[in-house]
Parts: sequence; structure tokens; C-alpha cells
Amino acid sequence: MSKTLYEKCGGFRTVSRVVMTFYDKALESDQIGDYFESVDMKRLIDHQTKFISAILGGPASYSDERLRQVHAPLDLSHADYDEMARLLAEALGEHGFAPGDIQLVMSEIEARRAPIVTKGD
Amino acid sequence: MSITAINERLLRAIGVGVAIARERDLKLIFHNGAFAEWFGEPAAGTDAVEALPGLDPAALRASIAEAGRFDGEITIKPKRRTLSIALAVSPAEAEGERLLVIECQNVTRIRELESMIDSYSSMVERNTRELEREKERVERLLLNIMPRSVYEEFKSFGVVTPQLYPSVSVLMLDFVGFTAFAAQTDPTVTLHELNDVFTAFDRISEQYGCERIKTIGDAYMAVAGMPEPSPDHARAVTQCAIRFIRYLERRNQSHPHKWEARIGLGTGAAVGSVVGIQKYVYDVFGPAVNMAARLQAFASPMSIVAPDEMKTALIDDFSLTDLGMHEIRGLGEMRLMRVGPGAETARRHTTV
Repeated sequence: MSKTLYEKCGGFRTVSRVVMTFYDKALESDQIGDYFESVDMKRLIDHQTKFISAILGGPASYSDERLRQVHAPLDLSHADYDEMARLLAEALGEHGFAPGDIQLVMSEIEARRAPIVTKGD
Repeated sequence: MSITAINERLLRAIGVGVAIARERDLKLIFHNGAFAEWFGEPAAGTDAVEALPGLDPAALRASIAEAGRFDGEITIKPKRRTLSIALAVSPAEAEGERLLVIECQNVTRIRELESMIDSYSSMVERNTRELEREKERVERLLLNIMPRSVYEEFKSFGVVTPQLYPSVSVLMLDFVGFTAFAAQTDPTVTLHELNDVFTAFDRISEQYGCERIKTIGDAYMAVAGMPEPSPDHARAVTQCAIRFIRYLERRNQSHPHKWEARIGLGTGAAVGSVVGIQKYVYDVFGPAVNMAARLQAFASPMSIVAPDEMKTALIDDFSLTDLGMHEIRGLGEMRLMRVGPGAETARRHTTV
């Protein structure tokens, strides 16, 4: 079995740092920060921890249907999604992920665009 | 610079939020930069309760009176991020005025990390439960192909040492005309019939302390006395054999296909071991197995044939009919007997 990125990067030890950095960036972002404003901190952290773990092939998974349900009320646009992807790439880069690995994560992110983005450009 | 001035400058500069309130009316008389950053610049005459949203003045006073200090936590949201601020309030006195020193620490990161640990634990716990279930499934599967004691050995050491059991009994059963039946019947029907019969045999085996080792096509093989040694092994396989025949007789009364079986019993030594590395299977070899196989072929339909050496073990409980001396391939000349239900078993059976 090939190693997942989650295992390769050092497991939750590294992933937890990525989540925290991403959380900070997401809240500070003028593009997407407002979406998180009314979300309870506990829930938001829980969601981001699991989502980033899942994206890296760690111990969590989200079905497309679940992603669709959770994000439908937010009416997210492609620009929002791009911003999220950019911030995650930044966070990964700050924690020593190689460009190739970041690219891999980005393609995983891309694969989940459809269920999350509901607003046409 | 006076000590007081230095103190004040220090208080203003540190990263901990500090405010001082008069105890009698809780009006703030001092606050530093960190405090203002989190709670906003308090207007003159603001009291602590107004400045610190969520602070319960009654609880504050009660705790100060009782314990001499107050500890609490409040959450604020100056911007998008929810901040958790830990408060520690302790009394002080200056120039005859009783004061309260309010220290505020930003514990947001700690709370966020706690939430993340919760989230991670729930993921890991869920995975652990899934792994546990998966392990049980694998274990159940392995227990189908080897006895439990062998499985335990396999699990602890990764290998199973072939073990010689000097005294065991073996039952070998084969159906009469199975090949013809299989040739003219839909395979799924054949399989269904076999499955039904073998499942019943498994139950009977278990009930009488025998272990089914394998089925090969329509042949069914069970042993007693291994891997758990038991002094009763000859009787155990015979009890099973009698019940197998009885079960088939009963079943034939209500099913279109009439199954007829021959059963051979064998006794003596056998070796039990796991064979193979990737596709392992637990199997039993030895004289006792060969004997049962030969005698099974010798038996007439719906009868059980056993070697004479089992006589002493069986004579009290079963009806034994001497079949005389016979030349058995690979085993030489030996005295055989047919085994039927004893008076006790037969009577019990008719009253059931």
C-alpha cells in the first residue's frame, strides 16, 4: 500500500499545525472570513481538522453528499473556493510541504469543488 | 524614575490584560493596552461588568469574599475570531481604598487546540472501532478454517508447529451417488443441498465435541481428541456418526432428494498443522485419517464401519456387529465392525 500524504508528512503532528495556520488565514481573509464569522469555533475547528485530514488521506472522510448539504446554505462562489484553496496551499507551504505534494492536495481540493460551490461564477 | 512609575509602565507594556477596579462600585480606575485591545477603550466611569461582557458580579463578589480570588473565563468577538479570555481577579488595597486587580489572559489558542484534540480523538476513536470490527471479522473467518487453540498459536507466533496427537479418532463421510446427482442437477441446487446438510453436521459435531476439519466436495471429515486431547474421542466420533445418519434419515423423509452416506471411523495417531503460507488451511494427516477414509469406502450406504480396536471404547454405548477380517489397501488385514445406535440411544431417539 502506498503511503498517504497524511502519513508522509508526519501524521497529525504536522496536520494539526496546518489546520491552525489555515484557520488563522481563513478568518483573516476578506474574501471568505465572513462565512466563518457566525460559526461556532468548536464546530469550525472540528470541520477543518477533519476536512484537511481527509484531503491528505488521513483518518476521516467526507462524502460528496455531506459536503453538499453542509455548504449549500452558504451559496459559495468559485472565487471563494479559489481563495480557500490558495490559503490552504499557503499553509501547507509554511509547514514544509513540497510543491509537488501541494499540487497533489490541490487536485484533491479541485475534485471536491462541485459539491461545495453552488453559485455559478 | 520612581518605582511606582516603573510599575505602571510595566503594567501598561505587558501582554497580559490588566485592569484595576474599586471594590465598592467596580468602577475601572486603570487598564493597560492589552485590556483595551480586547475589550475596547473603556469610557470614564465604566464599571468592570460593563467592560467585561459575561462577567457575573454576584459570582465575582461571592468568590472574592469566600476564596479571596475569582477565576473565570469569558468569550468575546472583537473581530471574526472568537476570543477566550481567562480572568483572574484578586483583591488589593491602596491608600485606604479596597481594589480589585483584574488579570486577563488570552487563552484562545488553548481552547482552539483543545477543540482540535477533541476532533482528532473522535476521528481516531471511530477508526479504532472500525479496526476492531475488522479484526473480529478476520478472526471469525480464520476460526472457520482452524480450531481456536491453533488460531491462538498462529496469532501469537505467526506459525503453527505441526503437532502429533498419538491417540485421536477420525470420522470420514461420503455420499453415495453424489457425482451422478451433481451431474444432473443445477449446481446452485447441489450447493444449497450440501450447505444445508453440512451445516447440520457442523452443529452435531460441535455438540458432541468433534471438530470439523474440512469438506472436499461431498466428503466431510471431523476429528475428536485434537487439538484438545480428550479420552473420549472414539465415543465422540461415533456419537456424531450415528447422529449424521439419523439426521439424513429424517431429512430424506421430507426432501425430494434422498441423501445416502457411508461413514468410516478411524483411530490412532494424527498430525495437525496449518498448511501453506499465503493460502493456509488447517489440515490433519496420519494413520487415523487414512483408516477412516478406507473404511468409509468399505461401508454400505447409511452404515458406519469402524476398526475392531475401537471396540472397548464403544461396546457400552453402541450396538456393534462384527464384520470379520478384511484386507484393506495400505493397512493390511484388519478386523472390522459395523456400528449402530446402542439400546440407550435408540430408545431415547424413539421417545423424542
